[in-house]
Amino acid sequence: MSTLDIAAPPRRKLLDARRLAPLLMILIVGVLVLAPLLRILLATLTPAGLDAWSAILASSMSPNLWWRPLMNTLILGLGVSAGCLLLGGFTAWLVVMTDVPGRRILGVMHTLPFMIPSFAAALAWGTLFRNSRMGGSSGFFEANGFVIPDWLAWGIVPVLIVLIAHYYSLAYTIIAAALSSVGADLVEAAQMTGARRPRIFFGIVLPVVTPALVSAASLTLAGAVANFAAPALLGLPVRMQTLSTRLFGMIEIGQAERGFVLALLLIAVSGVFLFLSDRLVSGRRAFVTVTGKGGRTRRFPLGMWRWPLFAAGFGLAILTTVVPVVVLVASSLAPQTGALFSNWTLHFWLGEGGGQIAQGNAGIFRNPVLIGALFNTLKLGVVVALISMVLGLALAHTITRNKGTVLANVLSQLAFLPLLIPSIAFAAAYIALFGAPLGPLPSLYGTFTLLVIAAAAHNLPYAVQAGRSVLGQISTDLEESARLTGAGPLRRMWAIVFPLAIRGLLAGAILVFVKMVRDLSLVVLLFSATSPVLSMVAYRYAAEGFMQFANAITVLILVICLAASLIAQALQARIQKWKE
Amino acid sequence: MFKTLRAALLAAACVPALAAAQDLNQMSTDELYALAKKEGSVTVFSLSSRIARVEKAFEAAYPGVDLIGLDLSSAKQIARVVAEQQAGVHAVDVLYMADAPVVLRDLLAPGRIETYVPPRVADQIEDRFKAPLLVHRLSTKVLMYNEAAYPNGSPITNLWQLTTPDWMGRVMMVDPTQRGELLDLLTEIALHPDEMAAAYKAQFGTDIAVDSDLGGAGEQFIRNLFQNDLVLLSNSDDLNKAVGTKDAANPPVGFGTYSDRRDNEEEGWALQVANNVEPANGILFPAVLAVADKAPNPAAARLLIDFMFGDDSADGGPAFAPFNVPGDYATRTTIADDPDSVPLEGLKAWTIDTESVAEHRARIADLIITLQ
Repeated sequence: MSTLDIAAPPRRKLLDARRLAPLLMILIVGVLVLAPLLRILLATLTPAGLDAWSAILASSMSPNLWWRPLMNTLILGLGVSAGCLLLGGFTAWLVVMTDVPGRRILGVMHTLPFMIPSFAAALAWGTLFRNSRMGGSSGFFEANGFVIPDWLAWGIVPVLIVLIAHYYSLAYTIIAAALSSVGADLVEAAQMTGARRPRIFFGIVLPVVTPALVSAASLTLAGAVANFAAPALLGLPVRMQTLSTRLFGMIEIGQAERGFVLALLLIAVSGVFLFLSDRLVSGRRAFVTVTGKGGRTRRFPLGMWRWPLFAAGFGLAILTTVVPVVVLVASSLAPQTGALFSNWTLHFWLGEGGGQIAQGNAGIFRNPVLIGALFNTLKLGVVVALISMVLGLALAHTITRNKGTVLANVLSQLAFLPLLIPSIAFAAAYIALFGAPLGPLPSLYGTFTLLVIAAAAHNLPYAVQAGRSVLGQISTDLEESARLTGAGPLRRMWAIVFPLAIRGLLAGAILVFVKMVRDLSLVVLLFSATSPVLSMVAYRYAAEGFMQFANAITVLILVICLAASLIAQALQARIQKWKE
Repeated sequence: MFKTLRAALLAAACVPALAAAQDLNQMSTDELYALAKKEGSVTVFSLSSRIARVEKAFEAAYPGVDLIGLDLSSAKQIARVVAEQQAGVHAVDVLYMADAPVVLRDLLAPGRIETYVPPRVADQIEDRFKAPLLVHRLSTKVLMYNEAAYPNGSPITNLWQLTTPDWMGRVMMVDPTQRGELLDLLTEIALHPDEMAAAYKAQFGTDIAVDSDLGGAGEQFIRNLFQNDLVLLSNSDDLNKAVGTKDAANPPVGFGTYSDRRDNEEEGWALQVANNVEPANGILFPAVLAVADKAPNPAAARLLIDFMFGDDSADGGPAFAPFNVPGDYATRTTIADDPDSVPLEGLKAWTIDTESVAEHRARIADLIITLQ
């Protein structure tokens, strides 16, 4: 007996969840992220790949292929991320921490811009600001006698504005989730000891939500540097190229190696920034605020600023949400894409086929494929959101609990990369990795499973960041006490971490769901069944030149995303009953 | 025991299978249909969403063979087929794609696809459209102008006019480093240095002086065009709107798709092709049909390709109907061109020479990158 007792501890130590979990995480991230990345890297080490390296970095093409796109990309990345922090932080503070009127409606409206595809905002910008450089009919402002200079109509300024308008709601979602966990006890304690409001803000609120701010900054930076639609639509007329338009173009014209090299460089550049931002967080003390005590949110009275700030928050929502949505809805109703507000018809939604409109095509709700596509889309979105949140939570947990170690750093860097890998390369790598039978595992080619795995990996950054920003605030005391009373890791996860982190997790799940429902490029390369998803139906219409149908489906996607986020909010209120 | 026997039988069956592929290429449609019914389905990647209409017509004509169509751009088809075959997956039967120069290099040369010419229509297709790739139809990237703004015909009669101050910032094109067809257009221009030099002389009265780092008058044209503030766009919809909008004052011209003219009425455009242009107004480029290597349904694949060339009527019947649009041209000679558009013989466009474009494309892409 006694020998057994002595022998037991080392073995238990080896199998201890604390050790096992990080190893498991490394394995998962290795397969999901590192393997496709290595494949891309290998493709650039062939003779053709090496030529591509030298063409990009050391040839007469380098300025146009690398340096200028790099500069534009950096300006966009940093500008968008700074702008998003300001706007997202402001709106999150307004909605969560103050007694501004109409908080609920503001809260919903500020989550919307991320659900609207960024090209819709770019199109809306064009509708208003396009100038004579583009010929055709002039934009709203020029038609009304204003002269719009090129720099305001095209190039880096409008792209910055459009991307900030798109991504600030991502920052809002993450920061709001973190702010809502700043306990009233902290704020009240400060107030009682006589701290003034700026002091409370800079001394308590800001430090506590710093992890969320860094998460938001990183995600918006990565999103902005990888965005293709906005710089392509608004930048090309003045020949502004970013790394993402360059790499998309190179793959599109059959020079895939150059595209891959640009992708790797893009990853390296963003990696530097993400590493620095990680340093920023791990270099300072962490503040835990979710301690199981208190937990109510304390609202600041705004006094005379209530209505002006309401106007600011509401105005922002109008500009970033209502305008693009109106343009989208109008263009799904207008027979001519050039005249948005005349001769409206419901034909593109409900019309019977066979008439003169739209070359005899019936409205989208008469398209038999649509219902199937709707179902597929929901299924895909929900499954991917669930799986990536489980993965993301596990990863984020490992990262925050091993904070400061090399392991945590490596994991958090790797978890970010999928955002920057172009989906065409990502999908190709996945087909190559899982297309053939792998040992005892059958070939996953063409299965729903492969699509889900790839999509979960592709959306991992959102899930991990959402998880991290919340987990960082949950006190380890709670888990420690649970561990001491004998709760296993799964039990602790389910009974403690999960309910406390629910708001952040749901926020992350919604982001993933939205991205999945909206995005096309990854799905289209991995899907092989006949029954499509909504974005594929929209693409089919758009390819035929029926923008109205495509826009109608975009509006439908928007409604689905909106419904999903409302359901998530209701769910959160039910689980976190102790909040109000 | 049983297993080895089965393996031996399988091995034996493989030898005739090789010969069978040869036979499939000679079979009549009836014979192919009989085999295709056993295969049960056929999967096609298509650059055009019109495959949905082909699906209906095909399944009506050949009940029992399920057509599975998937819209994918040419670049995505190539990426997917390469990745699949490297993983040993052979899931697709038929590819319907453009970007012929890349197809030639990345798919045909390594043996990832094969060219199948249906015997039924073989002698109704010109030789140059049967090899190395089978061309289904020709589409265009040609100079388009606004016929409402220029009722007396095209304001451009010589490509070199586009490089003059009058047209500075008023010539449009979808970015040739983003879309293969436009790169093909500029490459084809570069491949006609003599014609471009003659057109230069016709326009300006003097012989052209080509910069020392360039390989001829065609490349010089590309440089001058970019230096004359060529406006690049991200998609053809923007281009059509910019060039074609009816009430526009002083609209630009642009290299677009002739067949987009069919949307004029519906969209309020006045797009028209500038045909009388020296030395050419643009290019005709092929949409090709090919059978994937080790296609899982080889007979159905061939049956589908045969079907897509239409019946013997002048409009190709329901099988070709989805592709019979004015401004696109069938390669099958029995199918008549649309009466309202310029006939193929009358269109002053160069038909791209796929092999030489494939050879020079990368060099022209490099030139364009330095000019942007």
